[in-house]
Amino acid sequence: MTKHPHETDVAFIQALAELLNKNDLTELAVMREYGENDSLEVRVVKQAPVAAAAPVYAAAPAPAALAAPAAAPAPAEDPARHPGAVASPMVGTVYLAAEPGATPFVAVGDAVKEGQTLLIVEAMKTMNHIPAPKSGTVKRILVEDGSAVEYGAPLMIVE
Amino acid sequence: MSGSTDTRAADLWAWPEGVARHVLPEVDSTNAQAARLAPHLTQPTWILALRQTAGRARRGRSWQDTPGNFAATLLMRPTGTAQDAALRSFVAALALHEALGAVVGPSANLSIKWPNDVLLNGGKVAGILLESLGGGRAVSHLAIGIGVNLAAAPDVAGLDPVTAPPVSVAGETGLTLPPEEFLTYLAAAFARCEAQLATFGFGPIRTAWLARAARIGQTITARTMTEVIEGRFETIDDTGALVLATAQGRRAVPAADVYF
Repeated sequence: MTKHPHETDVAFIQALAELLNKNDLTELAVMREYGENDSLEVRVVKQAPVAAAAPVYAAAPAPAALAAPAAAPAPAEDPARHPGAVASPMVGTVYLAAEPGATPFVAVGDAVKEGQTLLIVEAMKTMNHIPAPKSGTVKRILVEDGSAVEYGAPLMIVE
Repeated sequence: MSGSTDTRAADLWAWPEGVARHVLPEVDSTNAQAARLAPHLTQPTWILALRQTAGRARRGRSWQDTPGNFAATLLMRPTGTAQDAALRSFVAALALHEALGAVVGPSANLSIKWPNDVLLNGGKVAGILLESLGGGRAVSHLAIGIGVNLAAAPDVAGLDPVTAPPVSVAGETGLTLPPEEFLTYLAAAFARCEAQLATFGFGPIRTAWLARAARIGQTITARTMTEVIEGRFETIDDTGALVLATAQGRRAVPAADVYF
């Protein structure tokens, strides 16, 4: 088993950080397979949209991956990369119910049909009904009623 | 001379080509009717109800309907992303502003409160609610519900104080206009604005909207479910979000109720 050099990882993370900045992203997650039992998982996050704050490069699971790739426990799962993740199609406000105080569209554990409304994302007074991409069960709800979401933010996990 | 002017004016306000028109004596809500029609839609369609029994406004608030008032929904299949679909909020507001301007005449004191409330003499004369249907990243259908107080303003006694008290076209101008007639003005204006969006993008729509915006440059309050943001209303960005200069810096607000 040939190990890839440490410098490669550093350069790779550096490149991701630059990519993040250049494209004005807030988060970037990549998994790199070097071979069997040798992979690198990097998540680069820029904190706070405040212009003054310097970007923070958090290569969270990378050291673990470098030290003992096979033995390391699975890092905290990134919901955005979950195959059942339902992403927000726009920047806006999330509503889990049709109106304040009403029963939410869905709850964790609910069986949903493809096309069924899971929640609403509002922007510019446009209520976007976010449908279940497939039939399944609501496993997780990742957002709070009334919270602000970014484009592409994971909203729910349905599988 | 006047004859040709009349012809041009008539053309300007003719029913747009390729757009269907359904006039219903009564329906629960025109947006609900649009949802039922969506699977069978072949062309952009205006649904006008002479009476709504369960008119809806934003976040489950009911829209009070008075006979003689205008309640219609345009159902269409927008191309592009959900963000693009939401730009119709501004297209609809502009079209409504233009249609009301044509009906009331140059004396009309019309403005638009972000994002799409049309004000007449500073009072809320209309409301617009957009709902996208059956779409994720791309929207399959968009229902643009528009209510206009042509005949009478709803009674708001007992409701929360509002920033722009409701007014009606009849009350402010003495003008009586049947909803069917107003629909033709609105449909024509919307078709023009929509064509502009399709051809030139959001730029000209944004510029025209800003020129009609109420309280631009002044301090306003945007209230969301979780916070209250106060700031100077600078502009709207290229997604249509309200841009406020707050004590903590610039904020772009995509969804909120605006108070001033």
